[in-house]
Amino acid sequence: MTQYIVRRVIQAIPVLFLISVVSFVLMMQAPGGPAAQFNQNPHISPAQINKWLADWCLVRQPTVMDTVREYLGWLGVWNCTGGSFLSAHGLPNFLPAFLGGGTNGILHGDFGYSIETGQPVLQMILARLPATLILMGTAFVLWATIAILAGVLAAVKRYSFFDQSVTFVSYVFYSLPTFWLGLILIFIFGVTLRWFPVQGIVNVRNTPAPFATSAYWAAFAANPLPYLYDIGAHLVLPVVTLIAVSIAGDSRFVRSAMLDSLHQDYVRTARAKGISERQVIVRHAFRNAMLPILTNLALEIAFLFSGAIVTETVFSWPGMGRLYYDGVNARDYFLLMGILLIGSVLVVVMNLVADIAYAIADPRIRYD
Amino acid sequence: MAIYPDPTALSGGPATTAAGPTPADVAQADADVEVALESLGQWQLAWRRFRKHRMAMVGLGFFVFMVLVAIFGPIIVPYDPLNIPGSTIPGGMPPSLAHPFGTDNDGRDVFAMVVNGARISVAIGGISMLIAGIVGVGVGAIAGYFGGWVDNVLMRVVDTFFAIPLLFVILVAARFFGEGQVTSLILIFGLLSWPIIARLVRASFLSLRESDFVEAARAVGVKDARITFRHILPNAIGPVIVAMTLIMASNIVLEAFVSYLNFGISPDQTSWGNALANAQSALGLGNWWWAFFPGMAIAITVMAINFVGDGLRDALDPRTRL
Amino acid sequence: MGTPPPPDVLLDVRDLRTYFRVMDGTVPAVDGVSFQVHRGETLGVVGESGCGKSVTALTIMRLIETPPGEIVGGEVWFNGRDILTLSSDEMLQVRGAEMAMIFQEPMTSLNPVLTIGDQIAEAVVAHKKVGHKAAWDRAIEMLQLVGIPEAQRRVKQHPHELSGGMRQRVMIALALSCDPKLLIADEPTTALDVTIQAQILELIRRVQEETGTALLLITHDLGVVAETVQRVVVMYAGKVVETGTVDEVLQDPKHPYTEGLLASIPSQGLRGTRLNVIRGSIPNPFRMPVGCRFAPRCPYAFDPCRDHEPPLEGPGDGDRRVACWLHSRPPFGIEHRPRYGTSTATALAQRTAGVAS
Repeated sequence: MTQYIVRRVIQAIPVLFLISVVSFVLMMQAPGGPAAQFNQNPHISPAQINKWLADWCLVRQPTVMDTVREYLGWLGVWNCTGGSFLSAHGLPNFLPAFLGGGTNGILHGDFGYSIETGQPVLQMILARLPATLILMGTAFVLWATIAILAGVLAAVKRYSFFDQSVTFVSYVFYSLPTFWLGLILIFIFGVTLRWFPVQGIVNVRNTPAPFATSAYWAAFAANPLPYLYDIGAHLVLPVVTLIAVSIAGDSRFVRSAMLDSLHQDYVRTARAKGISERQVIVRHAFRNAMLPILTNLALEIAFLFSGAIVTETVFSWPGMGRLYYDGVNARDYFLLMGILLIGSVLVVVMNLVADIAYAIADPRIRYD
Repeated sequence: MAIYPDPTALSGGPATTAAGPTPADVAQADADVEVALESLGQWQLAWRRFRKHRMAMVGLGFFVFMVLVAIFGPIIVPYDPLNIPGSTIPGGMPPSLAHPFGTDNDGRDVFAMVVNGARISVAIGGISMLIAGIVGVGVGAIAGYFGGWVDNVLMRVVDTFFAIPLLFVILVAARFFGEGQVTSLILIFGLLSWPIIARLVRASFLSLRESDFVEAARAVGVKDARITFRHILPNAIGPVIVAMTLIMASNIVLEAFVSYLNFGISPDQTSWGNALANAQSALGLGNWWWAFFPGMAIAITVMAINFVGDGLRDALDPRTRL
Repeated sequence: MGTPPPPDVLLDVRDLRTYFRVMDGTVPAVDGVSFQVHRGETLGVVGESGCGKSVTALTIMRLIETPPGEIVGGEVWFNGRDILTLSSDEMLQVRGAEMAMIFQEPMTSLNPVLTIGDQIAEAVVAHKKVGHKAAWDRAIEMLQLVGIPEAQRRVKQHPHELSGGMRQRVMIALALSCDPKLLIADEPTTALDVTIQAQILELIRRVQEETGTALLLITHDLGVVAETVQRVVVMYAGKVVETGTVDEVLQDPKHPYTEGLLASIPSQGLRGTRLNVIRGSIPNPFRMPVGCRFAPRCPYAFDPCRDHEPPLEGPGDGDRRVACWLHSRPPFGIEHRPRYGTSTATALAQRTAGVAS
C-alpha cells in the first residue's frame, strides 16, 4: 500500500506544479504586470510596495530569466532578498520559517495584497472560509448520503416504482442548470411562500456583528441555538441548489455500480450460503460497490467547488466563491490567483485522501 | 477439453446454419453479434438500435426541432428581442396572446428572446463540442499511441485540468479572452472541455492495445499507424461520442451561467443566458415568466441532448445485444 | 402436490420447468426435467453449454433471479419436503446448511474484500448456533480438511492472495462447512489447469467419502464423469435425453446425442483419423423444435422425430432410460425406419469405448 500511496503522491507533484504555473500566469496577466498593480494600489504604502517588489523579485521590465526568478520567488523557493535558494539562515528557502526557511512566497503563506481592499489575500480568503466550509460540508454529507441511499435502493429494487421514480427525477434534475434551479427555488420558497431566507448566511438584523468576526463568534458561543437556527434556515435553499443536480447524476452512478456488484459471482456465492438478503446486500454487494463510488465522489469534489461559485453568487453567500466572483468583477488578480491556487490544491489533496481511502478499502491494493 | 469445437474447422464439412445466440452463453453470443455487426455495417446497426430507444428518439426529435428554431426562428418571430419599445412596463407584462412568454422590464418579448437565443446557445454548445472532440481525440490518441513519457506528461496536464475548478478559469478567461464575443466563448469552452475525452481515448488505447484483435493485426504485419486508425480509434468512438453529447449539454448550461453573470455574451446579442441575466431582480417582484421560459428552454434542450446521449451509449456499445 | 419420495431418496426433481422471460420472448431453459439423487450417492449431469444443466442446479438452490427467471412448474423434493413451496426465509435455513454449491469460476466466486476466514465463518454463524470464535476455528478446520497448507495463516488472507486451485479448495471448504446433505458442484474444474483439475476432483471424491454427503456433479466433461460419478443424466436443450449408470451410458449409449458426445472426444488410439463432431449447434431457444429437440442435428432422424416428442422410457424397471424414437415404439404405427443401420451406431460407440473405461 505504501508503494501505491507514494506513487499517487509523486503523480500529484507535477499537477501541483502545473497549478502553480497557471496561477502565476494568471497573476502576471494583470495589465502592466504585478509591479504596476502594486503601484496603482492606493491601500498600500510605498514602503510596503517596495518590500513586496523585493520579496517576490518583481522587476518592472522583466526578461525571461527575471520571469523565472519571479516565479521561483513567488513560489518561495528562491530567496529574493538574498539572491539564492538558501534562506538567511543558510537552509533551503522552501522550508517553513520555523525550520529555518525563508518567509517569502506562497509556500510561506504570502499571497500578496488585494488590489481592491489592500488586505492580505490569505487573510481575506480565510475570513470567507467558514461560510464556504459550512455550505460545502453540509452539501457534501447530504449529497453523498442521499445519492448512495437512493442509488442502492433503486438497484436493489430494480424496475420497482421507487427505481423508476428515482430514474425519472434524476433525468429531470440532471438537466437543470444549477443557477436557474436556484432562481426558481428563490421564487417559490423565498418570494412566494416566504419559507426560507434567500440571501446571505445570517440575518444581519439579529446578529450583533457580521458573520465570522470575533464579535459574532463570541455572541454565538454565549447562546448558540438561535444562531445555529439562523444559519440552518439560510442554508436550506443554497444546499438544495448545490446538491440537487449532483445527486441526480450520482444516484444513477451508484445505482449502476451497485447493479454491477449485485451481478458478480461472489454475490451468488453469498446467497448460496443462506445468509439473509440484507447481509448479502450490505456485506457483499455494497462493500464492493463502495470502491468505484468512493472514486467518483472524490472526483466530484472539484465539481462542488465550481458549484459553490454558482450557488454563492445566486444566494449572496459570503464564501470563497462569491469572493472570487467579486474578484473577477474588480479584476483583483492577486485575489483570483490566491483562490484558484488554494481551491485547486484542496482538490488535489482531497483526491489523494480518496485514493488512500480506496487503498484501505480494497485489500487487493492494501497488500500490494 | 472442448466437446464441441467449431464444426466447420474440424470436420471440414458444411455446418448447418447456426441458430441465434443462447442466453446461457453470452460470450459466444457476443462473438455472433460482432460478426453480424460487421456484415450489417456498424452505423446501420447502431442506428437500428438507437431507433428502439424511445426516449432517445424523442430527445433527437426535440433537438432537431431546436436546431430548426435556431436557424429559422428569428425570421418567423415578429418581435426583435433587442428592440426596446417606447413605453416600458416596470417588471414586464405577464404572458398573454400577443406575448406568449410575457415581456421583460423594457417591454422586450421573452418569446423572441428564447427563439433568437437558441441560435447562439446551440452554436456555442455544438461548436465547442466539436473542438473538444478533435483536441481530446488528438491528445488521447497521441498519449495512448506513444505511451511512455509523452503519455505521462499529457496525462498530468489532463489531471491539472481536472483539479482546477473549471468555472474559476472560465470566468477569468471570459474576462480576458475578448469580452462578449461568441467566438471567444466557443474557443474557451472547447479548449477547457477536451480533457475528459482525452482520458477516454487513452483508456481505450491502453485496453485495446493488448486486445486480441490488435495482437492479430500486428501478427499479420499491419503497420502501427494503420492499427491506430483502422482498428483502435473506431472502437473507442462510442464512448467519445457519448461524452461529446454530455459536453454539449454542459456547455450550453455554462454559457447560460457565464452570460447570467454578465461575463459572457455581450448584452447587444441574444442568448438564453443573456435572457436570464437580469431575471433575478424581476423574481423579487413576482415576475416569474422572465426567468422561467429561457430556463425551461435550456433545461428541455439539455434533457433532450442527455436522452440522445443515453440512446447513443446503448446503440454504440458493442456489448449491447440486439 | 405429489407425495414425498421414499426416505433413501435425498433429492427428487419432478418435471421441473424454469423459463426465462426476456425481451425477445421466453426461453425454456429447463423444460420438464426429472431425476433422483440418493443419500450419499454421486450423480453426474452432462450436456453442452446452454443445455440447462446449470439452471437446473440454480433452480434446486432457488437461486434463480426473478425476473427474468421463473420456476413455472415441477417439484423439488429434498430431504422429505418440496422446497419449491418453502418461503424465502425457510429456504435460508436449507441453502448453505442442508445443500451447498460450488461454482465454476473460483477466481470471481469469492468476495475480494473479505478474508476467506470471514467468508467461511459467516456461513457457519448463520447456520450453526455458535459464536464468531468457534466459527473461525471451524473455518481453519475446514481449510485443513480440503488440504490447504498453513491454514492458520491462510484463513486471514484475501482471495487475491490465493491461486485458482486454492480458491476452489476454499469454495469446497465453504460449501462443506455446515455439513450439507447434498453438494452441488457446477463445472468445478472447468476453469482450472489440467493438473489442478485432477487434484480438485480427487479432493471432492475424498471429502465426499469422508463426510458422506451426496454429490450432484454438473459437467460437460465426460472424462470427469467417467472418473467420478455412479449415475449419469444426459441433458440436451432443457430436457433429459438419457439416464443410467455411468457404465451403461458411456459404454452403450442409446441416444444419438450421447453417442455423438462420446464420439467427439479425441482418442489416442485413433490418431490421424478425422475427429467426429455433432454437426450444427444447439437450437435457438426461442424456437425450439416441435418434436425431438435433437432431430435437426441427428444423423438417424426419421419421420416421427420431427413432429413428436419422444418419451423418456426405459427397457426395464431400472434407472436406464432414453428419450428417442429409435428405442421407443413410434406413435401412430409409423414404421421404424432409421436412415442408417444400427451397426453404424454400434461402431461409433465402440470407437470411443476406450475413453469410458
